[in-house]
Amino acid sequence: MLKKDLIEKNPIRHLKGESDAKESSRMGLVMAQAGTGKTALLVQIALDSLLNDKQVVHVSVGQSLDKTKLWYEDMFKDIAEGCKLDNAGEIHDGIMRNRMIITFNESKFSLAKLEERLHDLVQQNVIKPSCMVVDGFDFVKTDRAVLEGMRELAKAMDLQIWFSSVCSEGADSQSATAVPAPCNGMEDLFNTVVLLQPVPQSDCIDLKIIKGSAAVSKCGKLLKLDPRTFMIREDCK
Amino acid sequence: MRDITKVRNIGISAHIDSGKTTLTERILFYTQRIHAIHEVRGKDGVGAKMDSMELERERGITICSAATYCDWKDHAINIIDTPGHVDFTIEVERALRVLDGAVLILCSVGGVQSQSITVNRQMTRYRVPRVAFINKCDRTGANPDRVIKQLRDKLALNAVPIQVPMGLEGDMQGLIDLVRMKAIYFDGENGDKIREEEIPAQYKEECDIKREEMLDAVSMFSDELMEAVLEGTPTEEMIMAAIRTGTLSMEFTPVMMGTAYKNKGVQLLLDAVVSYLPCPTDVDNFALDLDHDEAEVKVSNNSSDPLLALAFKLEDGRYGQLTYVRTYQGTLTKGDSIVNVRTGKKAKVGRLVRMHSDDMEEIDEAGSGDIVALFGIDCASGDTFTSGSDYNFSMTSMHVPAPVISLSIAPVDNKAQDNMSKALNRFTKEDPTFKTFVDPETMETIISGMGELHLDVYVERMKREYKAEVTVGAPQVAYRETITQRAEFNYTHKKQTGGSGQFGRVAGFIEPMEEGEYEFVDKIVGGSVPREYIPSCDKGFQKCLDKGALVGAHVTGVRCTITDGASHAVDSSDIAFQLAAIGGFKEAYAKAKPMIMEPIMKVAAEGPSEFQGSIMGSLNQRRGIIIGTNEEDAYTVIEAEVPLSEMFGYSTDLRSLTQGKAEFTMEFAAYRQVPKSVAEELIAKALKNKK
Repeated sequence: MLKKDLIEKNPIRHLKGESDAKESSRMGLVMAQAGTGKTALLVQIALDSLLNDKQVVHVSVGQSLDKTKLWYEDMFKDIAEGCKLDNAGEIHDGIMRNRMIITFNESKFSLAKLEERLHDLVQQNVIKPSCMVVDGFDFVKTDRAVLEGMRELAKAMDLQIWFSSVCSEGADSQSATAVPAPCNGMEDLFNTVVLLQPVPQSDCIDLKIIKGSAAVSKCGKLLKLDPRTFMIREDCK
Repeated sequence: MRDITKVRNIGISAHIDSGKTTLTERILFYTQRIHAIHEVRGKDGVGAKMDSMELERERGITICSAATYCDWKDHAINIIDTPGHVDFTIEVERALRVLDGAVLILCSVGGVQSQSITVNRQMTRYRVPRVAFINKCDRTGANPDRVIKQLRDKLALNAVPIQVPMGLEGDMQGLIDLVRMKAIYFDGENGDKIREEEIPAQYKEECDIKREEMLDAVSMFSDELMEAVLEGTPTEEMIMAAIRTGTLSMEFTPVMMGTAYKNKGVQLLLDAVVSYLPCPTDVDNFALDLDHDEAEVKVSNNSSDPLLALAFKLEDGRYGQLTYVRTYQGTLTKGDSIVNVRTGKKAKVGRLVRMHSDDMEEIDEAGSGDIVALFGIDCASGDTFTSGSDYNFSMTSMHVPAPVISLSIAPVDNKAQDNMSKALNRFTKEDPTFKTFVDPETMETIISGMGELHLDVYVERMKREYKAEVTVGAPQVAYRETITQRAEFNYTHKKQTGGSGQFGRVAGFIEPMEEGEYEFVDKIVGGSVPREYIPSCDKGFQKCLDKGALVGAHVTGVRCTITDGASHAVDSSDIAFQLAAIGGFKEAYAKAKPMIMEPIMKVAAEGPSEFQGSIMGSLNQRRGIIIGTNEEDAYTVIEAEVPLSEMFGYSTDLRSLTQGKAEFTMEFAAYRQVPKSVAEELIAKALKNKK
């Protein structure tokens, strides 16, 4: 398989933001119960940008640098093996050059700090990201102002930003239309909101599109993903 | 045998110039190990006792950690004097390995400096409990409270003073012990007469507040104490027990103060070392089980178990080779035979001594947890000794990384030649990552190691300790070559110059392989190459590996397969087939798209967050790939992968870029292909050198 096919099968290709939002500065949100693969999907989104020769900043709150790096290594290896990718080593080296990880201690994360870091990066010519994924962002303790600030940042830097959030215990995650807590009431800030749900006794994960639409997929608001590679399953198309 | 709970193996670790050596000197004086005090930069020319190496005496810094032993109030204290300079962190880490506890010294004026941060982090990594000592309280501008605040902010330690100074700067009179609520004065010319009195009225209020704070913090570690505090009846023993529990769990750092130079507070520090720092059984140490893939096994600390001892330092003194060892379990007895796990060789314990810097004391046995020195044992630093060959455990990993940088050195005269070889012999034993060999082509002596500074230190030591004056060539990065695709060869070697000629033909292919350096595959069928000449082909190929055709670097990752060939009944010979293989390899190598690989270093640079932009820029300029950054309080750690060839002189650059506040460490990560532009440059340079 070639790099091209890999890009085709990435679920993010099928996620269109709602209405007029510019693709390059959209905000997305991945929600799931703990342990269902939020980070994996974020890494997948990042890999998509990387495979398109774009640069990515991965912000990890509360996780170490090495751990985050491992996510990428594992994910890429799974994909490369799962999809029988040719010249994997070459592609790997190429994309890792375009990735940059910033980790914060849980208590040390702030919008101002992140903004400063990003500006530093651009100024020093280290990286000019077009996609940023933010993992471990605490939605429970955040108010709207921070997310609005993020939106501004996205517009100003022409940056698409993807967040992940754990669904609160007991939140109604079965409903296909409502955004589960703790992010309910914030959906207007995002262009796309998706929910990950493992399907019991099967080997796929459902990706429900709560906000935004699936552009290419015929399956409407539901995509089926391979739980190992987080790629769209062939039989779903 | 000595009671193991009364042994303390401690390190004294600090920023350069915060007075560590002076403090150690005082400790030795008060424990009656030495009978006069010498200063580091002493006018009497004797120098402080711990700085036994000449280079250190001259520069006023401590490079190598000598171990010394002293007694304090029926406890045995082994002190490892650890170097305080950034560039010698290998030494620091090796010393930390054998410590159970440490004293972190801070200057009351300078406070927490960048080196304290590095050292503190290393101690946290090796789980070394520590007490802090704020030294130089007699200096103008002394401010222990500010230093304590820095300990909390910058080092994230739960630092709480257990003393209050009576006066600071010039008029420092003594200290108040908050545990016992007594004022302590240090009388006599050398401060060796301790006088205990009631707390003077003007300090009473301050002491009450500070004691309250200390009790608050420390009662977290003892329910018994907490109750007693609530009832208003805490006893000395309860407080001390709670401080000890807190210190051992590394959640509490008692802070002491004083001035070693003016002989104040050192005895109290020794009391604290004995009371609060762990004995060998309080600490978990792990050995690696070599029979089970280096799995970690906790050592027992029991003196009657089989021996497990680590040689952590070698010294070549006037008494011959001296090996410092720390026993982790079992007993080291004079006359016993022990086995070096790395080499499998048996050795006999001839002389066993306790070291006091340069002097020593003969002993008969050393129990578990002790630090002693051995004579006449042939080993390298980091070797593990056990009591028998069936007991296959190691204290350090057997895996030694290959050197990535080399330098040529040449002695200036004959005398230097002898000394140089003596020095090299010693260094290679002391340090497994330091290697030396003679280049057969240029006949130059090459030394190689893990970095520029690493080699610099050894060159300097050669001059100082061995009086071997050498001239040093430019550092060379150890490049490698490999091939990227399969290529065929079919080569005939023919020579007829009268007499018996030479004839040999080999055909086959070479191909890249992912793991391993070289492989030879024989796929000849039907005897087109006679059996006896097949090893000759192998030999021929191997000769080609030493110097690749691109830049003359070592070739790795090649599998050579021969499939066909031809021989001549008279003219074929060993050498003919070797030459045919060489010819074949050269023919195929050019077609196999060879490439140059260079060592890539994993660099971790850390500095105050405000400099992180410029640090990243500087790494980026050096062809570095920034992997990520990590915010730690006011500090940022930047991780990057940078080619070694670009890292020359980086420490100077980094310091000037960040006002000396940032530092970096690097270690070898992997070999990777050099970019095209750089490769072309290298090839052009190699061509020029050939001419």
